[in-house]
Order: sequence, then structure tokens, then C-alpha cells
Amino acid sequence: MHIRKALITAAGKNQRTLPLQSLVDRDGVTKTALAIIVEEILRAGIEQIGVVISPGDEAAYRVAAGSHATALTFIEQTAPLGYAHAIHSAAEFCGSDAFLLLVGDHLYLSTAAKGCAQQLMDIARTENCAVSAVQSTHESKLPYYGAVGGQLVNAAQRLYQIEAVLEKPTPTEAEQKLDVPGLRAGYYLCFFGMHVLTPGVQRILGELLTEARGHEQTVHFRAALARLAEQERYLACELDGRRYDFGVKYGLLTAQLALALSGRDRDEVLRGLVELLATK
Amino acid sequence: MSPGLIDLIVSPDDATRNRSLDDFCAAASFPALLAECEALEAFRHRSENLYERVRALFFLAAIHRFHLPAKAELPAGGQIPFQGYEHLLHRRFEEAIEIFTTAQKTQGASDALSSALAAAYHRLAFQTLADQVRRSVRTVRGNQWMFRMGHPKDQPLRVRRELLTPTADGSYPILRELTPVRMDLTHSAWSDIFFLGMDYPEGAKVLNVSVDLGVHGRDSQPQPPVSAWLRVIEEPVLRLVSVDLNARADISNLAEVFDFAKDYLGLLKAAVIAAGIVPPGIEGSGQSLADLLAEMLGPGRGLELVSSVNDIPKGSRLAVSTNLLAALIGVCMRATGQAESLTGPLRESERRLVLARALLGEWIGGSGGGWQDSGGVWPGIKLIEGRAAEAGDPEHGISRGRLMPTHHVFTRDEISSEARQRLQDSLVLVHGGMAQNVGPILEMVTEKYLLRSAAEWQGRQEALGILGEILEGLRNNDIARVGAATTRNFQGPIQTIIPWASTYYTERLIEQVRAEFGTDFWGFWMLGGMSGGGMGFMFTPSRKAEAQERLQAIMSATKRELQNALPFAMEPVVYDFAINENGTFADLLAGADALMPSGYYTLTVPELIRQDRRTLSSLRRTELDKFAAACRTKPELRGMVQTLFDAMFPRGKSDAGNESLAALLEENGFDAKQHEQIRAHLREGRIGLAQNRLPANAAIEDVRSEDVVDLSAKTDQKLADLGLASLRAGEVAVVTLAAGAGSRWTQGAGVVKALHPFAKLGGRHRTFLETHLAKSRRISRLAGTSIPHVFTTSYLTHGPTSDFLGQHGNYGYDGPLHLSRGKSVGLRMIPTERDLRFAWEEMSQQMLDEQQQKVRESLRTALIGWARGAGEAGDYTDNLPLQCLHPVGHWFELPNLLRNGTLAALLAERPQLRTLVLHNIDTLGADVDPTLLGQHLQSGACLSFEVITRRLEDRGGGLARVNGRPRLVEGLAMPHEEAEFALTYYNTLTTWIDVDRLLEAFGLTRADFAPNANADEKITTAIRNLAAKMPTYITLKDVKKRWGHGQEDIFPVTQFEKLWGDMSALPEIDSRFLVVPRRRGQQLKDQAQLDGWLRDGSAAYVESLCAWK
Repeated sequence: MHIRKALITAAGKNQRTLPLQSLVDRDGVTKTALAIIVEEILRAGIEQIGVVISPGDEAAYRVAAGSHATALTFIEQTAPLGYAHAIHSAAEFCGSDAFLLLVGDHLYLSTAAKGCAQQLMDIARTENCAVSAVQSTHESKLPYYGAVGGQLVNAAQRLYQIEAVLEKPTPTEAEQKLDVPGLRAGYYLCFFGMHVLTPGVQRILGELLTEARGHEQTVHFRAALARLAEQERYLACELDGRRYDFGVKYGLLTAQLALALSGRDRDEVLRGLVELLATK
Repeated sequence: MSPGLIDLIVSPDDATRNRSLDDFCAAASFPALLAECEALEAFRHRSENLYERVRALFFLAAIHRFHLPAKAELPAGGQIPFQGYEHLLHRRFEEAIEIFTTAQKTQGASDALSSALAAAYHRLAFQTLADQVRRSVRTVRGNQWMFRMGHPKDQPLRVRRELLTPTADGSYPILRELTPVRMDLTHSAWSDIFFLGMDYPEGAKVLNVSVDLGVHGRDSQPQPPVSAWLRVIEEPVLRLVSVDLNARADISNLAEVFDFAKDYLGLLKAAVIAAGIVPPGIEGSGQSLADLLAEMLGPGRGLELVSSVNDIPKGSRLAVSTNLLAALIGVCMRATGQAESLTGPLRESERRLVLARALLGEWIGGSGGGWQDSGGVWPGIKLIEGRAAEAGDPEHGISRGRLMPTHHVFTRDEISSEARQRLQDSLVLVHGGMAQNVGPILEMVTEKYLLRSAAEWQGRQEALGILGEILEGLRNNDIARVGAATTRNFQGPIQTIIPWASTYYTERLIEQVRAEFGTDFWGFWMLGGMSGGGMGFMFTPSRKAEAQERLQAIMSATKRELQNALPFAMEPVVYDFAINENGTFADLLAGADALMPSGYYTLTVPELIRQDRRTLSSLRRTELDKFAAACRTKPELRGMVQTLFDAMFPRGKSDAGNESLAALLEENGFDAKQHEQIRAHLREGRIGLAQNRLPANAAIEDVRSEDVVDLSAKTDQKLADLGLASLRAGEVAVVTLAAGAGSRWTQGAGVVKALHPFAKLGGRHRTFLETHLAKSRRISRLAGTSIPHVFTTSYLTHGPTSDFLGQHGNYGYDGPLHLSRGKSVGLRMIPTERDLRFAWEEMSQQMLDEQQQKVRESLRTALIGWARGAGEAGDYTDNLPLQCLHPVGHWFELPNLLRNGTLAALLAERPQLRTLVLHNIDTLGADVDPTLLGQHLQSGACLSFEVITRRLEDRGGGLARVNGRPRLVEGLAMPHEEAEFALTYYNTLTTWIDVDRLLEAFGLTRADFAPNANADEKITTAIRNLAAKMPTYITLKDVKKRWGHGQEDIFPVTQFEKLWGDMSALPEIDSRFLVVPRRRGQQLKDQAQLDGWLRDGSAAYVESLCAWK
């Protein structure tokens, strides 16, 4: 599988300004979140990056992307019709290629030598199928994420065959449908916010959006993924790394701390923290 | 491995496994049985299979209860180690068994030890089964997470946006769940008990129909009787309201959610917990309820949950409470997104989830129904079946069946619309008015199933055949055939398995309906666990309307006839019903329609109106306005103004009740002076439960062999001849004590025990009264002289007993028959906290299992609060007048004979009268046995007390040497409980009395009872003098208070009593003690004993003493 393209979604109602926030990266340089994400993608060998935005946001995003702006293609989501619709807005951009999909309000921090995007793409290439990155997540966090259920394929690689996909399931539903052997009780595989998808997904999204037209119902991305699991081999993989959602309360702060503590200025930040603790 | 009983458990061959234990044991020798017990005991420890262990336990219990005692080699007597008994009370069954078996090895086997082992094995078996069901309930997928959750921040549920968005008028929408109840068309021999379904899934089948209900003549049309209502409120509390139980509470802390018995909101609390809103895992976490609610609803918000069952009375056998629980859970699960359907019917997967949660809720609330009970959640007519556990199920490898059954809802192709209509047109559903506890029956069914008693097993197979027949009838639109099959089911398998499922009342109803409707009466159908409450009668459709009217009249008349004999909780009702084809169904009420059920407003509005309108929240004001507008426009709210007015200004409490209480007291010889003295002593702490006891330094030892005469096994012709001669000479009369209310018999329902048609003997239901007379009839015939028979009565029992004897022509008894009316009565008092605490904290108590114990403790705290609030040692008057009085102990019954002229009448009839045999109403084996009479006469004693060897259940004192002198000691007087366990003999109360010597003890002679003796004053003084020597015991009794629609509360009340056995403590009275066979002396105190009594041959023994005609 050849993966040349990546898609970042940043058109969500409460999401639009998040990629524009400034953070200090591991190397001590102040960048926008968007720039950090783009750099990670480029490091992984992606050639074209599409960013789905709300109409009118392009200028701000160009500024935020800095020197990488030229590598970006901006795609406007014409109406606020949800996440699935946003992805499908980039159908033309994706064409008949497999693509890496990321959300603009997450920061991915690898604990291995390779970046998270790189890890995921390597697996997708080896397995030659769609792969979603997942993270074992406590059930109390279920209201915030999509989650998958399935069977373990390869324990060493922490690779799973996906059989069910649910969006923000209740724990009751999760227990019944998303039980995965090998996880601790009360933990489920929740989406990491990063996927490598086949062109089949754009096709399925197109079908679902057509079916829903005139029914006043929102198409959920998970429905497309669930259909994908029925039609193609579709895997989930736990990566060596963590995601930080800066859309939640103190999310940006946590993301910044995580970045700083894994980077060059670790000692300085730690000192600052200790001082803070000592005076409190 | 032994080739014996273990084979019955483990054999892969069905025929061997289903062989009956009874057959095996009857053929086995005594040593062989003991060896089998040892093998089974070892087997149950090594077996890893749950059901093998449980069956071994039931086998062991049955062998010790029934089969070893039937062998002549088992010695009577023996002593039970107290330590083992204590373990039993604390539910440490294994430890108890260990101690009892060790004692058996050292002392040798004995009747006493076998009784203790039987009890311990029996309870351990049920405990093991209950634990397994609970474990399964917890491990059902979808239930597990709730046990892991311990902090509000971990709450993963969110209330759906639709409910959090106020409508234009500012009010939140209301989610309403309407749920039918279920009726069980087949009653497949209680096959829906979890234990059965999980061991014998292929035999667990029921036809279950969801129905809407209305009370005939009250409601315009049937509707889903159960409803649950939920909405968001702007206060961080859980507001729970039960419209039918008139209860509501704003709960603001977590601990209160788990306090089930504090108020009448236990079911709503269980629902909130089982639905995961307050998950069970958070109990005891010390966290804040407001934080938990904030996580689900946003800060400052709470939930209001309201339940209503449209005044359907309790005991309907339609599983109203389980379906209400399911409705409440359903509405909570919809609201939190656990069911995807916010409104409309539920999907199959969602219904199953509601069922799993309802099972959990029943466990949490300490109750428990069958697995078909939430049937109302499903639509129409369905077949519910057990399912074998397969790999991947949590039950796999543990039990044969799954916890949860499967439901097949019949389509119109399978059961046509016409057949459904015809069923509705022919069936008359009723509530007969009896509300009984079916718990013991369900235990009996489980035990008999696991023992594979031959008749039971045959009955079970037959019942399965009947299910097929009923289904065939429905498929072929042949309702008459359905009626014939349900009748056969009731008369055949159901009663073969549990004779107690039928009652005299039910049989009288069937008899009358059959007489009146002939072949137009198609059949009878028992609903639920037993008959007497919810029942069905099927008729030719053209006569259904007439049948509804007639059944109401027949039931009411029969109830009037039997109301003193059987525990009725309410007036019988006839229902209108319709099959509900939706199952549970929800809708969202918004804007002007967002109103709670009308009963909710009767409960809440009066208080709101009394408040200053400005202090009400805007939400409340809006709601009041909306309600007021609806009252003017909606026809169903017509009359609301009057209802509210009545609720706000209740009519003055009628004085009639108080007047009749005063009159009753006056009429029955209430001694106000003594009452005040007892109250003062109680308040000062001079008397009370703790003070009943003999001084701690009293030396209490077991009697020696020379202290008793053992007539339990031997026959003595000489004594028999002596007794028979006295009988022939007309020197003997019988006194049966029938003044008590038999509070244990019906848990304080206040019926007359003597009149209770408790069992079928000689082919039909017999009352205690009839049975005692039948024994006197037989002896009269044997002696050739009729025996005078006296029944002592009290304020409670005199009128009904006299009427009953009148109606039944004295049961054809041709000897002299007297009623001796009680002349003493007490007024019950509210207990002191000290006595309640003593009874509940100081005295040994049977611990319940974990969840039930929690419920009990919460109830006890509430009752202590009640006692404090109502005034300790105050008069107990908040009940029917008759329930406020109490008999003052059986000591008074004999003096009453002296005082009320009964003895004078007896002496006038039989001047030669020399001996009285006094016995309790529940000592069914007592008769005028010539040998015992001969022994009494020969000894020359004043009083000869009959005693029996003790079994575990014989609690309450016994025969002891107290400071060197043999006497009977009441359980209340035992200085410490352990002392009782050292006593070999138990008091039966049956006493042979020498008339002259007794009179002498009173300081009286026969001359004082001569027609013109005018010795009333002398007699009264004599009695008072002797009474002064008798100790007064303070006791706590349970009394039922009935209210609402078949609801009952049980209150502990204080009363005092003097007891007959204490006569043996008087040094001036020559008392002797006769050891008699157990069957003669045992007492039937509790209806739960009946089945064992029937199975161990006691019933047959009593029948052998009777001449019915």
C-alpha cells in the first residue's frame, strides 16, 4: 500500500481555533499546534496534506502553518454537517488513494523512535489494509470517544481485527459489544484520532450521505467504519505513544506539559513545577 | 466411589440421575444411610460442579430431616452444641456442619443432631444457589461495569440531550414509560424459578401474556397499569415519588439511595441503582450525589422519578412490582442512552438488557421473583424458555442453564387475532383478596425438584405436557380446551408438587362457580406462586359479563364467611383486561403535555400551595399554572379540585375507632390499673426483655433420668386399662387453648388460628378445631363415653369461633362442647428503644444474607425512630381496635375456666370429672391417650406435663433442674441462651391436670362451683393470689397494619404475659414430667413447617388419631 496523502480535519464547531494555538515543541521552539502536526506527518513521508476547514478560516490557517503552508491544500466544508461530511468534503483530494486521517485538535506524542504517524503507516503498509490507531481507555472516558471491539491478531504488535465500531458507547453497550480479550476489565479500545484508510471509506461515506439525504439524519463516521469492517479487512493497532486532546478542559495545558517533559527543556519545566508545588 | 447416592448425582444416565431419593433411602438400612451421608459429605467437598454440590447438600438435608429419623435405630434425644447453633445464626454454615458432624462422631448419631445437620445443610444449599444466581446477575454482560465504578468522575453515563433541553415555557420534557403486567397462562410447575431454570433449562417454559388492566366497575377501560415518569429538575437531588404508596423524598446523599427500607421508595431506589444512574459500585464511597448527578446532567441539576401502578392491589400475582421495576429501569436506561430507543417500544436487545437490570434490581432490593416476571416488557403472547449455557456464557461450566431465558413472541400467524380475542372474551381475572408470602413455596419447589421426589418429577413432566396442550388450544382457537388444561394443571401437577398452592377459599370459589355455571364454566387458572390472590376463571364468552358480576358477589360472600379463618388483605376485586401488543412503550411529553400523573399532584400540590408563591422556583410555578390549566380542560383531571381540597383539609379522624377500642377493653376485662403499673415499670426499666431472665447465678442443669417418666416408646397395658376405665367413667375432659391469634402462623394478620383450614386431612381441608374434635370423637368411641371438649377463647377468637362452630354444626361432635371466654386482656404498647435494641442487638439473631440484612437493618433503624417518635411505652392505638389488644398469656386460660362458669358447667354435667387434659391449639398430636392418662392417675400428681426430646427448631426453654429442682423454664427466662442447649427435653405445654388438687392449690374446692355457691368473689381473689406468684414476661410481637391497596406494614409491639409452664415452679404443686413421642408433642407454629409435617409422616399420624365422622 502506498500512502502519500494525509487529511487533517479542523472544521468542527468547537475545534476551529484549536490548531491555531501556540505551544512550545520538544525542541524548545514555539509553534502552532497545526505546525507540530504537519511536521509529524511530513516526517512520516507524506507528500500531500489536505486540511478541512470552515469557510473563511483559510487565512488564519495559512499563517499558523508557517513555512509548511505551501505543502497544504485547504478544503472548505461547505455546511456544518458533521465529521463524516467533513471527511467526505475531501473526497476529491483523496481520489483513489489510501490516506492518513488525523484530527486537528489532538497532539500525538510517540514514546518510541518513530513518530505515531510513522508507526501507523508502517503497519498499514505491512498489513496492506485500513488500520485505526487505538488506545486502551477506561470506561469512564467512553462518552468522549469512538470505540472498537474485536479479536487479537498479533499480541506482540498489539494488532486487532475490528468487528464492531461504536461512537461514544454507553458502558453497558461497550460491555456487550466491545469486549476485547487481553484488555483489563473496564478498558476498551478507543480511537486515538489517527487512521490509515483505504479509498473504500470515501466511497462508503458517499453512499451513506446519499442514503441520508432527505431523512434529516446525521451520518456518523463510525457507521462508515462499521461498514468498512464488514467489507474489507480492517485492523486496529495500539501505538507506542499517547494522544492529547486539547479540546477538553486543561487539555492544552496537559498537552504542553507532555511535550515539554519529553523534550529538551524537561529539567526547566520540572523545576518550575516543583517550585509551584512548593509554594502551594 | 460409592455405588450409592453419588451415582444419582453424577450419573450420565438420565434414568439414574432422575431416580428419587425417597425410594433409595426407604430401602437402605440405618448403617448404610449413615455411610451414604459420610460419602456425600466427602463428595460435596471434592466436587467442583456447583449443581453436584447443591444436590449433595439437599440429599444430606433430606436424609437427616426425613430418612434417618424414620429409622428406629436413631436414638431420640441428644444434645446440639450451642457453638454450632451460633454459627448457623451467623450463616457460617460450613463451620456449623463441621461442629455437628464432629459431635455426631463423638456422641453418636441422634435425632437432635440430625435436626441440626438437616437445618445447616438445607440453608447452605439455598445459600449456595442464591450466591450463584447473584454471581450470574453480576456477570451478565452490560451489568459488570456498574460494580467497578466508585467515583462520580468515573460516571460514564450522560442524560440525553432531548431531556436536558427545556421547551418554550421553560419546563423540561417528561419521559413516560407505560408497561403492561404479565399473566402466566401455563404455570409450568414454577419452572421459572431461577434455580430450576439454571439446572433444567429444557423444563423451564412458560406461556406469558402481557396485559392491560382496569378494576371492573372503577376504570373505564383497561390500560397499561404500570407507569414510570422521568424528568430533569433544577436541584441537585434525586426526587423519588411513589404515587400509589403516597411517598416521596428528595435524596441528596448517596448513602440514602442505598437505604431501602427507610421509606416506601425501595423499589425506585433499586431501579436508580440497577439502571446505573447511581451504580452499585459507588455504595459506601462517601462521595457526593450532587457531583454524580452533575457528571450526568450538568451542575445544579437532578432527576425526578415517579412511579404509579394505577392502584392495582398487592398480591395480584401479575408481577406488578417486577414490571414496575422494569418500567422504572427502562425509563432510566432510555434517558441515559443505554437503550437507543428514546420513545416507542424497545428492541429485543434492549428488552433483554432491561430484564438483566431488573434481575439485578430485585437482588439489590432484597426481593426476588421468577425469570418470567418482567414479561410485561415484551409484547403480546410469548413463550419464555430456559436456555442451555454454552461456551462463552458466564454460566458455562457452572450451571446447565443460562440465567436469562429467551423470549419467542408469537405472531398472528401462530396465534390468530381471533384466538386472542376469544381468550379475552372468556377469561375473568380476579384478585381473591388474599395476599400471601409465596417465598416458602418457592423454596419447597426447588428442594423437591433437586430431590427428584417421584410424584414431583412425574407432576413436572405432566405440566410440560399441559403447556403443549394449552398452546395447541390457542393455535386452534379452542379456549375451552385451554380452560380444561389449566384446570387439570391446577388440580394435578401443581398440587402434586405443592399441596399448599390451593386453599380452602379457592376450592370453595371453584365449587360455587361450577355449581352456578355448569358447563359454561370452562376452567380455573392459578396465577403465580399460589392461589387466593390473582386467579382466572374462564367462561363461555356469552356469559362473561354475568360471570364478572357473580364472581364479585361469590368472592365477597365467601371472604365474609372465612375472613376470620384466612388472612385476607383486601376486598376481592374483578379486573377488566386486554392483551397488550406493544410491551413496554415510552413517549415524550413536552410543553403543555409535560404533566406527571394526577396522583402526583394530589401528593405534591397541597404543600406547594401552602408555600409563598414567590419562594417557588420558576419551574414549579410554571408547572402549577400548567396543571391548573389542565384541570380545567382535560376530562381525566375532572374532580381534581375536590381531591386536592380533601388532601389539604383532611376530614377529622373519626372517633368511632377509639370508641370501639374503649368498649372492647371494657368488655374484655382490661385492668387499667395494672396497665399503668406495667407502663411505669417499663419506662423505669424495672421490667423489660432483659428483666424476663432468671438471675444469672441460677444453676440451670439438665434433668436426670429419675426426674421424668419416659413413655415415648413403650406401651403399658396396665396403665392403658387404668386410663380407659377412667375415660369410661366420664372422668376426663379436654381443654384446647384457642385464645391466641397465632401471630407466627400468619405473621400477625390477626386471624383465628383454630379456624384456619390448614391442610387436607381425610380428603379435604380441615381446621385445627375440627381436627381436635375428631380426636376426641375417636377416643369417646373407644371409651364408649363422650368426652367434654372445651376451647378457650379470647376477645379475638370468641365470636368467630362460636359462629364457625354454629355454621358447621359443631362439626357433628356429639359430646359436650364449651367455649371458655377469656376474661383478661391487655392493651399493646409501643416498645421502648431499650427493648428493641435488646431484641435486635443482644439476643441471638438469624443473620440474613448480605443484601437482605442491609434491608433489615435499615428497617430496624426506621422502627426505632418510629418508637421514639410515637412515644416509648405509649398505648399502641394506631391500628384496628382488635389489633391493639393482646391476650395476656396462657396461664390465665385455666383460671378463666374457674371464673367464667365453664368449670361449674363441666362439673354440673359430669360431677365425676377428675382430670383435664390441657393442650395448645397447634399440638395436633395431643389426644386423651389412655396410657398417659393411666400414668398421670397412678402417679397422683397435680400436674403431669408432657415433654419431648429436643430438635434444633424447638426453641423457647425446656425442662431443667433450676437450683436443684426440676421445672419447666420458659425461653424468655433463660439467663443465657446457651443454657437451653444443655436441656434434653422441650415443653409441649400439654398437661394432665388433677382437678381437685389444682383447686386446692388455688385454695378452692368443688363446693365453690356448686350452682348456688356464690363464690365469685372468693374465686377472683384466689386467682389474683396465685397470679401474684407467677412471673410477668414482657414480649415483643409483630403486628400487621394494613393500608392502601393490599399493603401491609409490620410493627413490633410490646405486650406482657404469664405462662402456664411456670406452674411447675411452684413448690406447693406436685408436678411430674412425662416424655412422650415427638409426633404427639410437636407443635405447628409456622406454615412453612407444613410441608415437612406432611412428608415426615406427622400428618398421617394425626389422621390415625382422628375419627372424622
